[in-house]
Amino acid sequence: MHLVSVMQQGVWAVMLWHNLLASSIPLDCREEQGILSRCPSISQEKLLDRVIQHAELIYRVSKESCSLYEVMFIPLPLQFQRNRAGSACITKTLPVPSSKNEIQQISDKWLLHSVLMLVQSWIEPLDYLQTSLDRYDDTPETLLNKTKWVSEKLISLEQGVVVLIRKMLDEGMLTINHSEQGLLPNDVQPQMLESVMWDYALLSCFKKDAHKMETFLKLLKCRQTDRYNCS
Amino acid sequence: MLLSLCIMAVLSSSSSSNLLLLLLMSSLDWLSTPGSAFFMGRHRVMSPAPLEPHITECVSRDQVTFQCWWSPGNFHNLSSPGELRLFYIKKDSPASEWKECPEYVHSNRECFFDIAHTSIWIPYCMQLRSQNNITYYNEEDCFTVENIVRPDPPGSLNWTLLNISPSGLNYDVMVNWEAPPSADVGAGWMRIEYEIQYRARNTTKWEALEMQPQTQQTIFGLHIGKEYEVHIRCRMQAFTKFGEFSDSLFIQVPSKESPFPLTLVLVFGIVGILLLAVIIVASQQHRLLMILLPPVPAPKIKGIDPELLKKGKLDELNFILSDGGMGGLPTYATDFYQDEPCVEFIEVAVEDPDTGEKEDTQGSDTQKLLELSQPVSQHMNIGFSNVVSFPDDDSGRASCYDPDLDTLLLMASLLPGQPEDGEASFDVVKRAPAPERGAGPLVHTRTGGPQTWVNTDFYAQVSNVMPTGGVVLSPGQQLRIQESTSGTAEEETRKKEKEPKGGEDGEEEKDKELQFQLLLVDREGGGGAAEGNAWQVGVPQSSPMPGDGYTIHPQPADTKPAATAADNPSPYILPDSPQSQFFARVADYTVVQEVDSQHSLLLNPPPLQSPPPCLPQHPLKALPAMPVGYVTPDLLGNLSP
Repeated sequence: MHLVSVMQQGVWAVMLWHNLLASSIPLDCREEQGILSRCPSISQEKLLDRVIQHAELIYRVSKESCSLYEVMFIPLPLQFQRNRAGSACITKTLPVPSSKNEIQQISDKWLLHSVLMLVQSWIEPLDYLQTSLDRYDDTPETLLNKTKWVSEKLISLEQGVVVLIRKMLDEGMLTINHSEQGLLPNDVQPQMLESVMWDYALLSCFKKDAHKMETFLKLLKCRQTDRYNCS
Repeated sequence: MLLSLCIMAVLSSSSSSNLLLLLLMSSLDWLSTPGSAFFMGRHRVMSPAPLEPHITECVSRDQVTFQCWWSPGNFHNLSSPGELRLFYIKKDSPASEWKECPEYVHSNRECFFDIAHTSIWIPYCMQLRSQNNITYYNEEDCFTVENIVRPDPPGSLNWTLLNISPSGLNYDVMVNWEAPPSADVGAGWMRIEYEIQYRARNTTKWEALEMQPQTQQTIFGLHIGKEYEVHIRCRMQAFTKFGEFSDSLFIQVPSKESPFPLTLVLVFGIVGILLLAVIIVASQQHRLLMILLPPVPAPKIKGIDPELLKKGKLDELNFILSDGGMGGLPTYATDFYQDEPCVEFIEVAVEDPDTGEKEDTQGSDTQKLLELSQPVSQHMNIGFSNVVSFPDDDSGRASCYDPDLDTLLLMASLLPGQPEDGEASFDVVKRAPAPERGAGPLVHTRTGGPQTWVNTDFYAQVSNVMPTGGVVLSPGQQLRIQESTSGTAEEETRKKEKEPKGGEDGEEEKDKELQFQLLLVDREGGGGAAEGNAWQVGVPQSSPMPGDGYTIHPQPADTKPAATAADNPSPYILPDSPQSQFFARVADYTVVQEVDSQHSLLLNPPPLQSPPPCLPQHPLKALPAMPVGYVTPDLLGNLSP
């Protein structure tokens, strides 16, 4: 099991490094000659704060969406299924830390990259979720608006994290390449066939991962400001 | 079993709603399983069914470690430690398997998961197994650790006084505390928000303030002298489970005695102001009343007791107005309204008893309007001075009443004496009831004797308009008086009818379908005008005049002066043509369609060939008695024809 996880991490690393060499989309102002003053620059701390705010908001809105969805579509006894459904989360295979111990042991760089992985892996499924919700007859307007908002914010969060990576870790440009990561799992369990339950699982998983992102970023901030007191 | 139900449901139904229904039905028995108490928290009532061993609760305090407690339920043979074992599975990979609890605390029936065995964001499921490998497993006992976090309560509660209100009755307090030591808030591992609750000493209901993530909060509006109890609890932001309450903090600010004079001063000041207001109102009562409640104008007729003007006393009022009691209104009436300086009076015109030999001194306005003080000469031009003599006292009209031109013209046309042509045909729009049987002098306009009107209605219905411009009134009220004389009049009428046929050039008689006569009688004229001309009303059909109508053409005096006079001492009556029944009733009020060039009213310009429109009302038809001058609304309903 350990070997498997190490291999997974290796695969991810390779993919990311490969992306580094590909052509990139500039996300913020490039420091080209003579065009220095084109865009305002932002300090790293401030950028990190904003990214954290984004993540907190995304988590909160995703939680509200999940509650709305539960109320609308899921009868009460089935609401407890969500934790079993958590086992089928699409980001299960991502090599992100999942305990405080692990987080304490990994580096800043890996923490940021984990966040980026999470963010990138959710962009496409959220689009799918949006279309799926649109198909239902009685989806409340607020729910649709929330999921739409989350999709948009997730994209800007991704941009922020990419910039952070570049600034904090002095790494080069990273591509935002979503099409390679088709993470919708193949091993769908039978009771997930129904679209309603599948969307419910999707929302629950996303809520969990949003919390994960938020926690990682906050830990990162702590490390940035006061490395010795952070656990 | 449940799983298979689900699968079946999924495969059998296609729509989501059907599936949900099926799932709902199939899941109803899940509600009774005891394990669901775990996730429902403390809200559910336990089912009375025999409880098998189950997990009571799993809680994490710091999102780093967690504990789970179980209970043997009703299986008391399993209650000894070691009988039940807890197993868990961490679903972070498909190949995960059930493992036993890493650390037992048997005294508590608790299983403790330390940091090495705790993973956040990964689902855990719990299971109990007995010694003989019976598994008590509830599928709902699954969770992720961040969802079961209940933070420890905050510590080190402290308070400081912020300020005291100017009245000295209230004060504000700032409460501060520290985050729970177990929660790693500083590192950002947990985001915590706090809820403060407070209550006064001897009350039972806690007041809760809004949740917020700071470690201090202000409580506003506490009362001096009361003791307050404050406690705080916290939870992870955007999560639902609260931790325990902290220890209570007691706040009290003792009251001082200085507010006492202030309240006294206030009380006395208010009382004094009120007294002053009462005194002012009492002394200026009258003026205030006049300003605030001005007198309401009510009908006030000079000389008449206001009591009579109230509802229900119409008869008495009429009596008085008709000079029944006092022989007319006294000129100097009792001043009933002496105490009301702002009263405007309605003055009823007092009839001069000499002006007309009227039996009926009601003094109808029509009569006055139409009365000519001067004799009307044949060659009279319509001069306004001759036309009317308006009694100019304020009989119901505004004092600034200006008889305007049109009205005057109308009046003029209503009056006798409008010679259109030389044939001396007067359009007479007079009618007078035959006051009594027997003799009454005939009115003749030639001489222009005083024409007095007897018992004419205030409102006269215009029955028809002469082509020459005259307006013909229909008789109203006098019909009933004429009833008695109808018999005698009939023959006279007939005689009369014959006469014009004989007498006239016959132009009229051929085409006349109807001839009738309107009689104008001077009641008291006595025999003075007996030899006067009799008015005859003939339907002017033959003539080139368009329009039908009643026209009263006085026959030329030379034609048959004597005959008529001699033969007909009695007053004429209204027409009684055999075709009288043919005609429908005339409406009391007819719409004036237009006024032609000669200032006469065209009511319903009828077609040429049609028979004369209408008769004056049948003698037998009587109008209800119309009170003169004063009509109350409840009587108004009776007036409609």
